[in-house]
Amino acid sequence: MIGVSFFRVSKAALQNSWRNVWLTLATLVIMTITLLVVLLLYYANIFGLEVIKDIEQKVDLSVTFKDGISEQQVNEVAKTVSSRSDVQGVQIISSEQALEIFKQRNIDKPFIEESLKELEENPLPASMFIVAKEPKFYEAIAGFLGTDRFAEIIDEIHFEDSRLIIERLISLIETIKNAGLIISAVFAGLVVLIMFNTVRLAIYSFREEIDIMHLVGASRWFIRGPFVIESILVALISVVMANAIAWPIIKAVAPTLTTFFFEGHIQGEPFDIYVHTLDNWPNIVGLQLAVAVGLAMFSSIIALQRYLKS
Amino acid sequence: MITFSNVSKKYSRDSAALHEINIKIPTGDFVSIVGQSGAGKSTMLKLISAEERPTNGKIVIDGWDITKIKKWQVPHLRRQIGVVFQDFKLLPKKSTYENVAFAMEVGGARTREIRESVPHILKLVNLTNKATAYPGELSGGEKQRVAIARALAYKPQILLADEPTGNLDALHSWDIVQLLIKINKLGTTVLLATHNNDIVNALKKRVLTLSQGKVVADKKSGTYKL
Repeated sequence: MIGVSFFRVSKAALQNSWRNVWLTLATLVIMTITLLVVLLLYYANIFGLEVIKDIEQKVDLSVTFKDGISEQQVNEVAKTVSSRSDVQGVQIISSEQALEIFKQRNIDKPFIEESLKELEENPLPASMFIVAKEPKFYEAIAGFLGTDRFAEIIDEIHFEDSRLIIERLISLIETIKNAGLIISAVFAGLVVLIMFNTVRLAIYSFREEIDIMHLVGASRWFIRGPFVIESILVALISVVMANAIAWPIIKAVAPTLTTFFFEGHIQGEPFDIYVHTLDNWPNIVGLQLAVAVGLAMFSSIIALQRYLKS
Repeated sequence: MITFSNVSKKYSRDSAALHEINIKIPTGDFVSIVGQSGAGKSTMLKLISAEERPTNGKIVIDGWDITKIKKWQVPHLRRQIGVVFQDFKLLPKKSTYENVAFAMEVGGARTREIRESVPHILKLVNLTNKATAYPGELSGGEKQRVAIARALAYKPQILLADEPTGNLDALHSWDIVQLLIKINKLGTTVLLATHNNDIVNALKKRVLTLSQGKVVADKKSGTYKL
């Protein structure tokens, strides 16, 4: 019984769409654009957070030790620095390791190898990389290492303050989010207006049927159902369309974005927006469905309340 | 049984469409409601089908007080009441069969039930040979018979006919009245609102005469007198 009823209501919904096919298409296009803007907003947020995380993970503070400093002295400095509550970790690169890394990096340059052989001693100093628990702690750690206590041991402190970059990034992401929200709101408003008019026109073109439905005692579901199902149908198709457009674009731009933003990534695999999409597609599609169906239901129910008096 | 107890209906403060109506219509009765335009005939029928609500008083149909009927209950009531109008209200893009079937479809009848019932109803109104014809291909009398067939789709206990012969010539009018008599004989209560004095006089059935929203005469076997 429910199946028959649903079939008849769905059939009427398809007739509604067909009678106002151009308006249905217009709603579909605007709804799809709205979903693409929502997707853009989602990816801007996710991507921005990943970029910030990546910058935070990069080693920002390193020191090189003076020539002739013993391994024990280096270890003592490392131990002192590690004991600080704001330090997450310390990595020591001995002068031998530094030389090995240098050789590896220049393996295809024979003249460097020859130059090194000419030198009797290892020219590269030992160094230490420090990872702070939070970017804001780097300045204090650098200050600590610059005190007289280490003046005889440490040759140079390399400190790049990434806080400014991070703050700028956060600000940029906020701007994108706000702009995206405004654009989304504008498109959502358009969707509501167009969907509202689609339902209004559908009610008008079905007025004779609706009159007769009232007359013969059709249930509320039979009278209103086709309009609600029509709007849900438009929402579902626009979700499919938005994804059909977005996914190939994401797949195409993902390698470029990863290379550009995550070059020199330290821990694990760098963030890939396409892999993220594949891993999180239920959430992403769910978000789109919630937005599309929510907007469609809202506008059609308002139109039905306004134009379909029982 | 349809009972009106002190029923009044006002569309505005100054004018009462119906004023303290007290009537009882037993099940299976055939009642002609007569009166000049604006006398309250259509309002009376609209109150029975819950298209309008009374301003005062109580309307009871087979023990069901429909005065304060809930919105969701209206479809249930309407499936017990068939309504026929002067302008037929047929769907022009649907055939005779489809017009009747549509009423059953939207009421939630099963497909099998529709396939079985519609031919029976069309036979009752003598339209079997016009089942595939569209309203544009039918005469006025035939259109009204389709409208009656549609009204009978749920085998209603009550049939309300609001000026069903208003757009028909004498021959077709009489044809429709014969059909209403036939339906009444099958046990359906028929309320016929009409201007047609020839029909009322020939029927020799109960006549309710309305004037300015009041019942001015209620004769068991009456004639058309204003």
